[in-house]
Formats: sequence, structure tokens, C-alpha cells
Amino acid sequence: MTTRVKIEIGLVAAIGLFLIVVFPLLNAYGVVSNFTINLWGKYLCYSLLAISVDLLWGYTGLLSLGQALFFSLGGYMIGMHLMLMIGDLGVYAQAGKNPNGLPDFMIFLGHTVLPDFWKPFYSLGFALLMVLFVPGLVAYVFGFLAFRSRIKGVYFSILTQALTYCGALMFFRNDMLMGGNNGFTDFKRIAGYSLTDPVTYRWLYIASAVMLVAVYIGCRALSRTKFGLVQQAIRDGENRVLFSGYAASHYKLFVFVLAAMIAAIGGALYVPQVGIINPSEMTPEKSLEAVVWVAVGGRATLIGPIIGAIGINALKSWATKAYPDAWLLILGGLFITVVLLLPGGVVSIPGKIAAYWKKRSAKADSSQS
Amino acid sequence: MASQLYRRILFIFLALASSLTALAADTPRQVVVEAILAENAAARRERVLSLVGRGDEDVAALFAAWRGDQLFIYQTAEGARVPVQLTGEKDGEGSQTALKVSDGQPLLDAAGNPLRLRAGDLVAVEHNAMLRRAMKSVLDLLDLSAADPGVRIRAITTIGFAQDQEKLPALQARLAEENNSRVQKALREAIALIQLKAGNDDTKLEGLKELEKLHTLASTDFLKAALRDAETAGKPALIDAARRALNAVETHRTLVNLFGTMFRGVSLGSILLVVALGLAITFGLMRVINMAHGEMIAVGAYTTYIVQNVFGSGLSLSPFGFSISLPGLNATGLAYESYFIVALPLSFLAAAAVGIALERGIIQFLYRRPLESLLATWGVSLMLQQLFRLIFGANNVQVSSPSYLSGNWTFFDIIFGWNRLFVIGFAVVIVAGVWLVLTKTSLGLLIRAVMQNRGMASCMGVRTERVNMLTFGLGSGLAGLAGAFVSQIGNVGPSLGQNYIVDSFMTVVVGGVGSIAGTVISASSIGLADQSLQQILGNPVLGKICVLIAIILFLQWRPAGIFVTRSRSLDE
Amino acid sequence: MAHPLLVVEDVHKTYDGFKAISNLNFYLYEGELRTVIGPNGAGKSTFFDLISGRAKPNTGGKILFGDIDLTQRNEYEINRIGIGRKFQTPSVYAEHTVLDNLVLSLKGPRGVFASLFRRLSSEDRDRLDELLKLIRLDGKRAWKAGQLAHGEKQWLEIGMLLASEPKLLLIDEPAAGMTDEETHRTGELLLSLAGKHSLIVVEHDMTFVRQIARDGQVTVLHQGTVLCEGKFDEVQSNPKVREVYLGRGKH
Repeated sequence: MTTRVKIEIGLVAAIGLFLIVVFPLLNAYGVVSNFTINLWGKYLCYSLLAISVDLLWGYTGLLSLGQALFFSLGGYMIGMHLMLMIGDLGVYAQAGKNPNGLPDFMIFLGHTVLPDFWKPFYSLGFALLMVLFVPGLVAYVFGFLAFRSRIKGVYFSILTQALTYCGALMFFRNDMLMGGNNGFTDFKRIAGYSLTDPVTYRWLYIASAVMLVAVYIGCRALSRTKFGLVQQAIRDGENRVLFSGYAASHYKLFVFVLAAMIAAIGGALYVPQVGIINPSEMTPEKSLEAVVWVAVGGRATLIGPIIGAIGINALKSWATKAYPDAWLLILGGLFITVVLLLPGGVVSIPGKIAAYWKKRSAKADSSQS
Repeated sequence: MASQLYRRILFIFLALASSLTALAADTPRQVVVEAILAENAAARRERVLSLVGRGDEDVAALFAAWRGDQLFIYQTAEGARVPVQLTGEKDGEGSQTALKVSDGQPLLDAAGNPLRLRAGDLVAVEHNAMLRRAMKSVLDLLDLSAADPGVRIRAITTIGFAQDQEKLPALQARLAEENNSRVQKALREAIALIQLKAGNDDTKLEGLKELEKLHTLASTDFLKAALRDAETAGKPALIDAARRALNAVETHRTLVNLFGTMFRGVSLGSILLVVALGLAITFGLMRVINMAHGEMIAVGAYTTYIVQNVFGSGLSLSPFGFSISLPGLNATGLAYESYFIVALPLSFLAAAAVGIALERGIIQFLYRRPLESLLATWGVSLMLQQLFRLIFGANNVQVSSPSYLSGNWTFFDIIFGWNRLFVIGFAVVIVAGVWLVLTKTSLGLLIRAVMQNRGMASCMGVRTERVNMLTFGLGSGLAGLAGAFVSQIGNVGPSLGQNYIVDSFMTVVVGGVGSIAGTVISASSIGLADQSLQQILGNPVLGKICVLIAIILFLQWRPAGIFVTRSRSLDE
Repeated sequence: MAHPLLVVEDVHKTYDGFKAISNLNFYLYEGELRTVIGPNGAGKSTFFDLISGRAKPNTGGKILFGDIDLTQRNEYEINRIGIGRKFQTPSVYAEHTVLDNLVLSLKGPRGVFASLFRRLSSEDRDRLDELLKLIRLDGKRAWKAGQLAHGEKQWLEIGMLLASEPKLLLIDEPAAGMTDEETHRTGELLLSLAGKHSLIVVEHDMTFVRQIARDGQVTVLHQGTVLCEGKFDEVQSNPKVREVYLGRGKH
């Protein structure tokens, strides 16, 4: 084990410990406000989404604009469970008009019986399974078709964009029975704990932090296997990979499904923390926003997307309050600047500075002699 | 004998002729006079009812006066009884102007001066409940004889749909003297519809047969009702006739839907084509993914908006706190409506200018990095959308269509909107124009040379930078033209471009990148598929989803133009 | 004579109406080293594309490797069957280290799950060391392949080819961009492979061709079809060949 690896393990352990243990403790003792811990819970979910984008784009060269779809699908799956858990606390139920325990929007649409595909979602376990299964299946079917016909590069981006758009159109429909325009909201409890209690949010935050650290370690391990080598080889020379005997399409399909599931986990943790999920979360623009986080943070690294997701969202929280009109201008401008001037993202800055100093001192040495 | 017979025929002929002239001379006003002067209530009612289907504005006014006790009978010195209407301000003596009911002219005295009469001196014309009802049925059917055929048709259709037996004679009377073919058809339909509710089966049968001949779409529900009635009553002849009529209508409907769908499909395809054509150039020829293409469309649409306001009453905008006022020309009528002609080239130029700025500022650095040009242009797209919001407001702005683009034309029950017809023509012209530019001009030659082999063209002295810039300008300008167009058919708002971007990319990808002809074919096929699926599924969103799925499946079968690896080095 | 290892019969390939390969017949026996020469546009690269699955022939042609119909297989399947290809422009994974390039090419299972869970065995490591020495990149094993000189990349690619231990090697212009000394060494290497492996080498450099052809067969391609076949000297003295190829005096 090299020193570098040791340092990395140490750092990950330290940051992981801080995120998972110290930060929530600070919250429990009132040093960190409930608002802040909830905000950070959200950022960590976004980080998961960013990692899923990076796993595809940074590591495999597949710019997917469909990650927002998978993120939202994950959110919708847990959302179905949360809707059913509202139970007797719903508006119609309080008014005594909901004998069958339907989500309020269904009563509003005139339904009286819970549709069959909703029934298993009473079980949290089933919902969690679906969080992985449904986005994974969508990714598998789409990926299978797309990779089989060797759609790649910008065509893949365009098609995934269309896929996301398609998904949003579907979920906007009321007869999809997924809440239509308004989606799911007004959740009351999760796993028996009230969603008005700050302690619940602290645990949701901890769950997000644990997932993020786990996904980070998992992806790091992945990048060190031969699979990781093939993955990056596909990014740098997909056709060459075929002539080395690797079925590039199988590898891409695996990564695509894996990334969809990571995004879905992010979405599933995100929804109970923000308390709402609706189709506007699965538009191509949301996917692109996640791509911005990765680009700004630094792609083809695992820490870059996390820095990008947290940094840009913190910036967004501040700028949308301080300069609401200018936020999109800032975001757009930032993006253009990074793409043009800093393709490696923020994480490449230390390296650049180091290289600059090295060059400068080398120059200074040569001028001295 | 012969001469006697001759005299007899002559007599009949003369009698007929005189009765015809009498009929022709019987203006509605004169009928009202006759009614007023009739001896008894029954005769009066009979005369009033004879006006059913022949009433006009005068009749309406006279009936109103009658019911308002403003009609009187004036006894002339000679003893003739003249019905008059007293109107206008009463003067000091309480007298008013007297108008003759027979022609609406003032009543004159022997010297030829208008007479002024006092109501108290005259006998008011009487009316009772029966008569008022009779007047109402005349008034109800007033529109049947309106001058405007459109009004007549609407009135007839309303009556027909109500299936009111009492109005049948009026319709039949109207049919006898109607000479506008469209109105005739409406009359026949209405009569047949009313006949469906008739008491006896023969009339019903007649109505059904007529409806089978007419097979109008509107009669469906009535035929269905008639069929149900006939089935309940168990009358095979009626059941059979109703079924045949329904079949005729359904066949007709299928045809109308088919052609209507095709027309809408072609026009949707034309919109897609106009919108995607610019992209076919920037993406297809230059391989640049311009995510801000949609915003180029919006630039064109907003330019149209500005031009329209300059032609109208001016426009004041306040971007970033600055206040800018554009004076208006206050043009009206045709001059105002010609704004669109001016807006077209300006939209092209405005979008082309923005496109060239974009190419010089950003895209030229990213020709070798297509994915990154996608990202950078998305940043541009975000910024442009926000700029639109800041300049023009977050809400949609109103762009009114010139009158020559609103309106529509119905033929064979298919509605052809002028704007839809226009977009088809517009698309044809633009495609022809682009084709000419690419194949017949030196710029086109340069464009094709540079796009095929940038390095080689540059070696041969082509100023590739300039060609890139102009090509991108051309593509963006076309998007601007599309924007001018879509401002006529949809909302103009900051996120206008987002509505078209996915469709445009799909159109170009399906068409085969780099092929204008492919784009034309794919745009029309997607348009047709979209409209047909909407028709079949009865749901626009579902149709759209199916089209997207179909496109993904299509690319399985035919990834041509997508998988291009013909080159010596492995990874281009 | 034994059954040929590779049979190409009656193969045609057109691109947009252009006949890249027409009526090509070609037979290669096990252990043979065959040199293919021909002027530019003779169809040499297309020939390799057809064998390695990068392009499919027009219907009707036959390409057999042993009993396996190669026209029904795609690139990675053909590679797994045991046909390795070295490209004209060196194709290495520029962002990977020299060692990783070889690891990727090492003979072994190519499936997704195998690559997730399999670790390098000690035999694998020995084999890698051996290969690194053979291609003289032992000292640069941690370099990124993109940083290597052109000639070194050529060697690395040959090393990658050897790592996968193919039965048949398709080698496109191996000496391009190499110094004379390197070229000679490459020739020696290829000759040492013949016998254990079968090789088809496309080359322009006549000195090199003379070196590796020795008394093996040389095939001349012209306009997508075989112009003639024979020993190097016979071919060189063939008037038809001189006319289309050597006659230009360029090579």
C-alpha cells in the first residue's frame, strides 16, 4: 500500500467520521441548526446524483442527461410509500371522507379504491427495493437498446435528454396516478417517525451521509479493479476496447444501470428531507444542472462532483436570496467559464498552481545560474 | 271552342302572374299591415305566423313596438285606415312623429308635411297572449332570413339540434326559397334531424334516409339516439335505416379524420422542419451541439414582438433598471399587418448576429470537443433565457397574428387553418432557399468543403474561420426565422426555446446527421406519426411519448448516420 | 496440404458504390507469416477490417477461421476467438499506464463480472514483466501511454497484441515511425512469432518486407483484389506488379 493510498484512506475516514458522527452530534447539542443539517442533507443527496453523473461522464465518457429522471424515480418510489403512510392524517381522512386510505390526490381525482400497483408500497422494504429496481430497469432497457445500436457521444446525450423529457411528460399526466403536476407532498411520517420532528431529519441526514461515504468507497474500489480500467479505456478509445475483446456495450450497460441506481438512492433520500417530489424534478435541465456540478467540481475524480454539488448549491442558496435575478446568469457564466478555461474543474486548481510554481522556480533557478 | 279554351288558359296564366306579383310585393312590413288590419284575432295570428322564416329587422322592431303599445291606426280624411308607429320625443302637446307601418316612412298630410300625432287621439292596435306567442315564434326564427349566410346557418343548426317539431314548417318554407347551397345543406340536415322526432315512422324514415345522404358529423349523436329509440320500439325498418345512416357518417368521419390528420401532420412536420433546419446546419453540418438553439428561436420570436410593437403603439422595456422606449409608428390596417413581412428578415438577422457572437465567443474554441460545446452552449441558453426574463418579463408576451394568418378555410369538413397552410408554404420556401444556398452559391460550396474536411479546406486557402462563422450564422438565422413563425402559432415567453429543442434534435438525429433531405423526410414523418398517434390514442401527451419511444426503436433498426467510423484512425 | 487456418473466398465490399474489395480470395495456413503489400487504396486496411469484424462483407462472401464463420461475429467476439489486430496508427489507451495497457490486453476472461472480481495472479505478473522486457518498456511501466514516443507506442501495441496470445495476428504497418534499428528489431520479433502464431503483416517499407518475407509468401493487393502471390523476388520481378506498384519507383 503506497503512502498516497494511506493518506487517501485517512482523509476519507476523517471526513466520513465528521459527516456521519460529528456534524449530527453538533446538531444534537444545538451548535448546528436544524435548518443547516437539513440543508446539508439535501446537499449530500445532490452529491450522490453528481457522483452518478461523473461515473458515466467522467469515467466512461457517457454524458447522460437522464440522471435527473433516475433521481426522481427513486424519489417517487419512496414518495409512494410516504404518501400511503400519511394515512389518517390526510386532509380527506381528517374530514372522514377517505375510508380506503387513498392518497389525497386520488380522492381529488375521484378514485375510491387504491390501484393495485400502489398496494405493495405499504411496505417500506418493498419501496426501498423499488427505489433500486425501477430506475435500474428503465436504465437497463434504455441502455440495452442504445448501446446495442452503438449510440454514443452527443447522440447518447440527446437520446437520454429525450428519455428524461418523456418521463416528465408521463408523470405530468394525472391518469398515471402518480400525483400529476403537483406530485407527492405533505408527508407526515417515515418508518413510524414523524416528519415534523427535527430528530427524524437528523437521522435522514445521517443516512444520506452514510450512503454518500459508502458510494464513494464503492466507486473508489470500482475504479481500482480491472473493470475500472476497461471503463476508462472505453472513455478514451471505445473502438479499441472492442479489439481487445471487451464487449464495450456490456460494460456501459453495467455502469449505466449502476449510475441510475446511485442517482435513485440520492433521490430516495432527498424526497423525505425536502418533503416534495414532482415532475419538474425530472426535466433535462435538472440533469444538466447536475452536470454543471460535476464540471465545476472536476470530473473523472470522485471528490470533484461532491465539491461541485455542495459548492454550487451553497452558492445557489445564497445567490437566489441575495441576487435572485442574477442567479441563472451566474450559473450559466460559471459553466461557460469552467468549460472554456478550467476543464479539470476546481480540483485541478491545486495541481495547476503547483505546476506554475514549479515552472517559476525552475525559471528562477536557471536565471540564477 | 278553341278560342274559348285559349281565353281560359290566358285567364289562368294572368291570374297566376298577378298572384305571383302579389306575393313578391308582399314585403314583411305589408304582412304586418295586413295583420294589424285583419278583422279578427285568428286572422291576425295567421298573418303574423305567415312571417315565420321570413322575418327581418323591421319586423322585429315593429313587433317590439306592437307589444309596447306604440302601434296605432290612423283614420285618414278619406276614411282609409293606416297603421302607424309613433316614435321620438313627445313635444309640448304630447304629439310624436308618425311612421307608416307599411314602409317606415313618415306619414304626410295633404300638403306633404310630416304629421305629428298624439297617442291619446288614436286607437292602439290590440294584442293578446296568443298573438304575442305567435310574434315570439317569428322572432325566434328571425335569423333564418338574416342577410349573412353564416348567421342563417347558425340559426338553422340550433333549431335542428333542438329538434323542435313546431319549427319544421318554417324550415321547410325557408328551404323553398333558399338559394345558398351551404345554407340549403344546413336546412336539409336540420329538417331531417327534426323528422327523427316525428310522430310517424314514415317521416322518421325519410329523415334517416336524408341523413344517410348528408352524413354530417354533427348528426352522430342524434342518429345514435334514434337507433336506441328504434331498438326500444322494435322497428326493424327504422333500425336498419339508422344503422345505415350511422355507417355513412362513420365512413365520412374516418375519411375526414384521415385527411385532417394528414394535413395537421404535414403542418406539424413543417413546423418541426422550420425549427430543425437551422439545427440541421449547425449540428448536422458543423457537428456542433448548440443547446442554445432554442434561444435563437426565441430571439426571432422576440424580434417579431418588437417589430409588431414598433408598427403599433411603441414599446417600453426596462432591462436592468434602464428604461428604453421604442416609439411606435401607429400604423393601422394593412400597413400594421404588414409588420410580419418586415419581422421575417429582421428575425433572421437578429438571431444570426447572436449566433455569430456565440460562435466567435465560445464555440470556435470547442470544435474538437463536442460534448463540451453542448455544455457551454447550455450555459449560454440559461443566460439568454434569464436575459429574456429581465428584458421582456417572465410572462408570455402577446404577438397577434395578422388577419391573413388567422382565419381558416373548411373544405369537406376538414379545417384548414391559414397559419397551418402558411407554415407548409413557408417550410417549402425555406428548404428550397437553404438548398439553393448550399448547392448554388460559392458560400455553399465553401461550407460543404469545410464541413467535409476542415484541415484540407484550410490547406487549400479557404478561410475556415470565416466559413464556420457564416455557417453558424446561417443556422442561427434560420432558427430566428422559425421563431418569427412560431410566434404566430404559440406563446412567446422566455422558455419558448425549450419547447422545441428536444423535438429539433430528434428530428435531426432521425434524419441522419448532415443530410438536409433526411431532415425534411424525418420532420414530415415525425409530424405525421405524432398526429396519427394523437388521433389513435386520443391523447396528445401519450402520442408524444410514443413518438419518442418509436424514435429510439427506429434508431435500433437504422443507426445510420449515427455510427460513423470510416476512418483510418480508430477513434475520431 | 493441411486445411488452411483462414479462408477468404469470393469476398466483395462496397462503400457507397465504391468497390473497396472485389472478388478477394485469400488462404493462410497455420504458423505462416504472410506479407501483404499494395499501393494506397488497394484495400489493405479494408481487408483487415473484414477479418477483424470492423466491417461486414457484402452478402455471398465467405470468411472462415477454422470452422468459425467470421462474418457472423462482431469485433470483440473475433478477438476472443483468437484474432488480434494492431492498427496502422498506434492505438493504445493514452490515459492508462503502460502496465495497465498490458493488463487490459492480457489473455483471460473478458466479461463484466470477471473484470470486477478477478485479481492478477502471480503468473499474470510474471507474464507482464516478461512482456515489458520484450518490448523494452520495463523502465516506463508507470508512464502514461500517451507520453511515449511514436515508436514506443508501436511496440506497446505489439506487446498488447502478444499479451492476448492470439492464434492469428493482423499487423498493419508495424514499422511506421520507427528508426531503422527499431524496424529491424520489429522484424526479428515478428519472425520469431511465426510458427507459434500465424501472422498477416501489411507493410509499405520494402526493406522491411524483404526482411520479414524471407522465403514466405507475399500477396499483392490491387484495386481490392489479389494481383499476384509468391515469393518476394518473384513478386518483385512480376511485370504487372512493377506496373501498378513498384513501377512508380516510390517504394
